[in-house]
Amino acid sequence: MTFNSLQFLVFFMVVTLWFFRLKTQKGRIWLLLIASCYFYMSFIPEYILILGGTILIDYFAGFLIERNEGSTRKFWLITSLIANIGALAVFKYYNFFLGNINTGFHLLGRTMDMPFLKIALPIGLSFHTFQAMSYTIEVYRGKQKAESNFVVYALYVMFYPQLVAGPIERPQNVLPQLKEFRAYDWDHVKEGLARMLWGFFKKVVIADRLAMVADRTFGHTPESSSVALFIGAVFYSFQIYCDFSGYSDIALGAAKVMNINLMENFKQPYLSKGIHEFWSRWHISLSSWFRDYVYIPLGGNRKGSLRRKINVAIVFLLSGLWHGANWTFIVWGALHGLFVILLVQNNGVLKEGRSAIVTTLRVVANFVLVTFLWIFFRSENLGSAVGYIQQIFSFKGGTNYIGISVVEFLFSWAMIIIMMLRERYIESHYISSNSRFYLYTTLMVLICYFFGVFVENQFIYFQF
Amino acid sequence: MVRRILSYVFIVFGLAALVLSTSRNAMEYISIKRDTTAWWGAYPCLNGDLVSLSYLDAVKRFNPPPNHVPLKKAEHSTSDNIVLYLHGDSYTYHLSDSIFTGTSAFHYIDRNHGLKFTLDTSKRNVLVIEVSERYLRPYFSTLRMLDEVGDTTKSTPAQASIYGMPLSNHYASILPSFEVNDLFNKYINQNLQCNLFNYNFIIPIFEYKAALNYYVFNRASGNVVISKDKNFLFLKETVSLTDAGSSYIPLNENDIQLLVNNFNVIYKHYRDQGFKEVYLSMIPNSASVVQPEGYNNLIPRIQSDTTLKMKIIDAHTLFKTEPTLYYQPGDTHWNSIGRQKWIDLVNEYLKQQQL
Repeated sequence: MTFNSLQFLVFFMVVTLWFFRLKTQKGRIWLLLIASCYFYMSFIPEYILILGGTILIDYFAGFLIERNEGSTRKFWLITSLIANIGALAVFKYYNFFLGNINTGFHLLGRTMDMPFLKIALPIGLSFHTFQAMSYTIEVYRGKQKAESNFVVYALYVMFYPQLVAGPIERPQNVLPQLKEFRAYDWDHVKEGLARMLWGFFKKVVIADRLAMVADRTFGHTPESSSVALFIGAVFYSFQIYCDFSGYSDIALGAAKVMNINLMENFKQPYLSKGIHEFWSRWHISLSSWFRDYVYIPLGGNRKGSLRRKINVAIVFLLSGLWHGANWTFIVWGALHGLFVILLVQNNGVLKEGRSAIVTTLRVVANFVLVTFLWIFFRSENLGSAVGYIQQIFSFKGGTNYIGISVVEFLFSWAMIIIMMLRERYIESHYISSNSRFYLYTTLMVLICYFFGVFVENQFIYFQF
Repeated sequence: MVRRILSYVFIVFGLAALVLSTSRNAMEYISIKRDTTAWWGAYPCLNGDLVSLSYLDAVKRFNPPPNHVPLKKAEHSTSDNIVLYLHGDSYTYHLSDSIFTGTSAFHYIDRNHGLKFTLDTSKRNVLVIEVSERYLRPYFSTLRMLDEVGDTTKSTPAQASIYGMPLSNHYASILPSFEVNDLFNKYINQNLQCNLFNYNFIIPIFEYKAALNYYVFNRASGNVVISKDKNFLFLKETVSLTDAGSSYIPLNENDIQLLVNNFNVIYKHYRDQGFKEVYLSMIPNSASVVQPEGYNNLIPRIQSDTTLKMKIIDAHTLFKTEPTLYYQPGDTHWNSIGRQKWIDLVNEYLKQQQL
C-alpha cells in the first residue's frame, strides 16, 4: 500500500477516525498495531513473519540487557544486533556478496556456483531494522528503559506512517508519545492534513512527472544528447528529493493528525552551501543514526585527523551499502565520503562565503556535485553511470527528446520553483484560519488531481 | 453528536469499500450487476479498453467509426471429429465452435481460471494455445499451465517438485493452509477506483483531466501511451523498458531459451495426455507491429528457434503486414478484421487435422 494510492486514502480515513473514537490508549495502541500489520502485509503478507521475529528478539533482548550486567549485557545486545543485521544480510546482501564471490572465483579461473536465494527484499527492511537497533543500543547505553508492554514496543517498530521509509526514529521520541493518551486537537489535524497534502503534491505533481524524464534519459542514454542527459540528471535530483521528502511529509502529517510528532527528515538540502551541510539537511534520521551509532563510537573526531577521515569514509561506505546491494550505491557513498573529507575535513578548500553571489555560487556548485553523484545512485550498474557521465561531457548531438513536451518541461520547472520557494519561505504547515485551511485543502486536492501523474509509482526509498 | 455519527458512517463506509474491493467474488458480482446506462451506472467501455483507461473518448483519431465484421461461420459436416481446446485470453473471449472448421466440440480455457477435463479418446483432440505477447513471458516463464489445465484421468505432476522452484518466493509456503492473498488483493486500487469513482456522473471530471493532459501536455493519462505517429494508444506495460510484457524490454538468449524449453515441456505433456496436436499462436502487442523500431523480436525469435517442438500458428507474420488494418487504435486488442484473419489462419491448420 503506497501513500499515493486510493487504498491508503481509505485506510487512513478509517484508521484515523476510529483512533479518535477510542477512549483508551490501550485500545488506540491495539488499533494502530493491527492497522500497521495490515499496512505492511499489503506489500508481501508473508514477510510480516520476519518483522515479527526481529521484534520478538529485540523486545526480549531489551529486557535482558536491562536486567543483566557486564558481558551478559553485551551478549544480549550483540544477539539483537546479529538478528537485525542477519535479516539484512540474508535478504538484502546475500545474493550481492555471493555474486561478487562467484565473479572473483571466475576471474581466478575457477568456478564456484553457490545457489542464489530466490527471495524478494522485504519492503522497508533497512528502515525498521535500524529503528529496532536504535532501541536495543539505547537500552544498552542506559538512555532508555526497556519497554515492558510488548504491544507498545511492536508499535514503535511498526507504526505505519514511518514503517517502510522512515524517518528512522529513536525510542526516546516515539515510545512516550505512544503511551500517552492525546486528545483530539483540530489544530493538529489541520496541520497534519496540510502537510500530507504538501507531500502528495511533491510526489504526484513533481516527482512522478520528473520521473518520466529521468526514466527516459537513463533508459535511452546512448542515443540521447548531452543536453538531454544533463536535464535528466538534474530532474532526477529533484525527483528523488520530492519523492522521498514528499513521503516524509505524508508520514509526518499522518502522525501529526493523531498528535504524534516524528522527527524531521529534510531541511531544504539543495540550498546547502557544501557537501557536509547537505548531509545535515538530507535524510537527517539516517545521517544522525550513523553519527550516533557508528561515527562517534569509532572515535568521531576525537582521535586525530587521519582517524577522523577514516571514520568518515567508513560511515559513508556503510551509508552507501545501506541504500542497496549494488556497487552503484557503494561508489555513490564512497564519493560522498571522499568529497566530505576533501572539502570539509581538510578545513577549507572552500571558505565560508560572505556575499550573496558567493553563497549562490556555492549552492549551485554543491547542487551540481550532488546531481552528478545521483547518477551513480540512479544507474543500473557502474558501467551505465560512467557511460552517462561520459555522454554528458562528450557534448555530442543526439535526440533531445526527454520524455515530455516543451510545455510540460516548462510546467515542471514552474512547479520546482514554487516548491523551493514555498519550502524556503513558509516552513510551517499550520493554518490557523479554518476558511483558509478549507481553501488550501480544496486547491491542493484539485492541483494534485488535475496536474498529478498517477501511474502507481512506488516511492523510491521503499526499495531500501 | 453529529460529528460522532458522521465519523462512524465514514468508518463503516471505508471498511465496506476496502472489504468489497478486496473480495474477488464481490467484485465479480458488482461488475455483473451494475447498469451502464443510468447516470449512476458504470462507465461503459465502448470505444476500446485503452480509450476508456485514458478517458479519451472525445479524441476521434483513437475512436474511429466502427467497422464491425461479423464472425464467419465455418462449414460443418457430420464427419467432423475434432475436439478443439482453445487456451486463451481476452483476444479469444466469446468465440464459439461454429466458427472453427471440422470441430464437433469446442472447449474454451480461460487462462485466468484453467480447466480440468476428460479427453474423449474416440475424437481427434487438438489444443491451441493462444497467448498475447504481453502475457507470454509472465505466464510461460513457469510451467503453471500444467497444474491448471489437464485431463483429470491422467496424473498431473506437481509443478514445484518436478520443475524446480516457481518464480514466487518460497516463503509463501510457510502458511500452506491459509490463503493470505485472499486478504490482500493486488488489484485493490483498481477495484476501489471502480467502486468509488466509476460512475457516469463523475466521468466528465476524468475526461477534463484527460483532455488537459492530451491537449496541453500532449500525452495520455495513467498507464496509456500515445504512439510516435500519434494515431495509436499503447498500454504502458507493453512499451516500457522494464515490464516483462513489453515489446521493447531487452531480451537475451537465455530468456528465449527458457520459454522454448517450457513450450517443449508443455508440448510433450499434452501430447502424452492424448492430444493429437498442440499449436501455439502468439499474438503480437500492437506496439510490436505498429511501431517495430526497437522491438525485441520476442515472437520471431521463439518461432525461429530450431529446438522448438510445438507447432506454430504464425500470427506475427500475418499482422505485421498491415497492422493498422488489423488493430484497433484505442484498444489493446485486434479489431474484428484482425480477429477473423486469425480465425481463418487457425482453420487452415484445423483442415490439416481433418485429413
